[in-house]
Amino acid sequence: MPTLPVPTFTQVVFVLIAAFTVISGLGVVVARNLFHSALLLAATFFGVAGLYVMLEAEFLAVTQILIYVGAVATLITFAIMLTRGAMHGETNPLNRQWGKAALFAFLFLVGLLGYLGGIPWPAPFQAIQADEGLIARLGEQLVTRYMVSLEVMGLLLMVALVGAILLARDDKP
Amino acid sequence: MNALGLLLPELILLVGALLVFLLDVAYDTDRESGASYGLVSGLFLVVAFLAAFFQMSLEPQQAFMMDIDAFAAFIKMTVFAGMALVALAGGRYMNRRTYNQGEFWTFFLIVSLAMSILAGANNLVLIYITIELLSITSYMLAAFFRDELRSAEAGMKYFLYGSVASAVMLYGLSFIYGAVGSLDLREVAGFFVQPDLTEELRVAMIPATLLALAGFAFKASLAPFYQWAPDTYEGSPTPVTTYLSTASKAAAFAVMARFFVVGLSALDVEWVPILAGLSILTMTMGNLAALRQNNVKRLLAYSSVAHAGYILMGLVAVAANAASGMDGLNGVLLYLFAYLFTNVGAFVSLMAVEETTGSVEMEAFQGLIHRAPWLAGMFTLFLLSLAGIPATGGFLGKFFVFGAAVQHQYYWLVAIALVNAGIAAFYYLRIIRTMYFGSQEDAGSRLELPLGMQATLLICTLATLWIGLYPPQVLDWVNTASQQILTAVLF
Amino acid sequence: MVPLNWYLTVAALLFALGLYGALARRNAIAVLMGIELMLNAANLNLVAFWRYGEQVMALTGQVFAILIIALAAAEAAVGLALIIAVYRDRRTVDVEELDLLQG
Repeated sequence: MPTLPVPTFTQVVFVLIAAFTVISGLGVVVARNLFHSALLLAATFFGVAGLYVMLEAEFLAVTQILIYVGAVATLITFAIMLTRGAMHGETNPLNRQWGKAALFAFLFLVGLLGYLGGIPWPAPFQAIQADEGLIARLGEQLVTRYMVSLEVMGLLLMVALVGAILLARDDKP
Repeated sequence: MNALGLLLPELILLVGALLVFLLDVAYDTDRESGASYGLVSGLFLVVAFLAAFFQMSLEPQQAFMMDIDAFAAFIKMTVFAGMALVALAGGRYMNRRTYNQGEFWTFFLIVSLAMSILAGANNLVLIYITIELLSITSYMLAAFFRDELRSAEAGMKYFLYGSVASAVMLYGLSFIYGAVGSLDLREVAGFFVQPDLTEELRVAMIPATLLALAGFAFKASLAPFYQWAPDTYEGSPTPVTTYLSTASKAAAFAVMARFFVVGLSALDVEWVPILAGLSILTMTMGNLAALRQNNVKRLLAYSSVAHAGYILMGLVAVAANAASGMDGLNGVLLYLFAYLFTNVGAFVSLMAVEETTGSVEMEAFQGLIHRAPWLAGMFTLFLLSLAGIPATGGFLGKFFVFGAAVQHQYYWLVAIALVNAGIAAFYYLRIIRTMYFGSQEDAGSRLELPLGMQATLLICTLATLWIGLYPPQVLDWVNTASQQILTAVLF
Repeated sequence: MVPLNWYLTVAALLFALGLYGALARRNAIAVLMGIELMLNAANLNLVAFWRYGEQVMALTGQVFAILIIALAAAEAAVGLALIIAVYRDRRTVDVEELDLLQG
């Protein structure tokens, strides 16, 4: 009788975080109340940050929490409050084509999992030494090799800032 | 800092955008300042055009994840010419309808900048980020008349479709990164020619590429991702529609061509059925929907979807065999170039009628020949060029694209495309008939066109005839452009 | 050690959930939340492929992921501004009621 492999401690932690992430993600799309969706979305962002920590991308995990939880989730909450009159009381949170959408997303997932299972991704997994200074290198890459990308990103943030104010402000000059 | 000099067109536009933005912040602006912003933007676009023209004659080289070659330079010229014409013709239209003129012209130059980077970008990180800069700025320009229900709705629909498409594309790119370990197009190409590449990994790239293709297909309004296009084109301010359907499409096709030619040419997969299927679907859906439109703006929107299908035919020939894909690539570039002037002209004619009658329905065009004979004549030329009548630029584009498909013996594809061109001619002729044979009684008074529009229409007319009647110069550019990008191919 | 495929599976689940949310919800804000889930899934893929890949020190995956995080914030800001602009005029954020443009 084959024995089941004993999961290591890391694997147990991974499964817990992953389950938390996916269940929160499921909650985001099925919750009837938008506020619950937004809270669960923040929880999902935290879960993904946890997975980043497991992948030894700590800086990214911190960025994820600062920007996604701190900015995006908050922004979404504000938008929900600002448009609260719109969909209160009611009604079905799903649109007319939700059945088709569910089927499509499910088939997509099945296809995707089959695809993932069949591919031997090149995954040598090299250990990272503590003194390799990943974060310093990350910063260096951003301002050398990826300089134009970073500049484009900065431009995008400026445009988004100006445009968002322009579109959302109430008064007419 | 020699390398920075290679980014001259981009730097010029960046300076222009920031200049307009700062001027707008620094001075108490009134409604009159829009004209000067438009003038500044136009000047910077013209200078950038000259810089791109100069780049045509440079040796191909790379700088900051961008290829500086004749292909990129040609696309930049196309894009800048289109944007400058839109600024010339549509500046007054926009300035009269919005208070936020400084922001509009800043965004306008930033959109041009994004398309310029896309023309040369050879790294998928840069490509993705820049596509997003182009898209997000375009969402806001589409919704620029935020108090008009249709404009806001157009922006919102564009945003929702666009964000989903770009998320799907990013997911596909992540798998390409997983397999290759890099997102540089040349390293992607190198990955496929290494001897110990396993069959599974090679096959793994196909779904990844299809997901990535979704993003490109969205920007170029190809089936099955074109549904946003008619709605957005109809609801957006007409100058925005004009550039979305011409310059933005040229940039999208440039990226797609570079992705397939430089990145994937060594991946030995039959792309032809997929691309040809998309091409047929796009042109047929576009043309059939255009047939039943009564709103001329929406009709032109659907026709622009159909044209994306024809352009894709050229890429089919490239994908079939990159080594002999020269004629296909030539066709794509020539089509984009000719289509740009023709379609800008068509939309500016529409804008002229909209400015003077306030309507873009078919009725507004009744008897246009009596009210504005010159406008009607030029609009007729643009429509004939869109239909692909000989002696116009549109004909030459179609000739090359169809010719490339014939050369690779895709007779079925050409046959379907010809049927489609026939259908298209029918609805273009319907507009022409309305203009000439409308009753004279309800024709109304003569239309007076602003000077900017007259100049734009004249330039577009001359360019359309120039490409159609005396193409050697354009053919020369196009040839150099395709040659230089094909030298980057690994075999 | 956790196999790479586990991460990819979590990302696939998140992506499918996000896709469903983006396609099936009526409220535009909920659609936006679905899009954010999809972007997170893609980012998780990038970081996992970076960690398990051969060129760890090239950091491509991490650089891309950071740029995407910033981009998602910009996209959310613009999206919500558009939603508020539509809401102000129409008093609705229901994507099915956006029907002025069709045909």
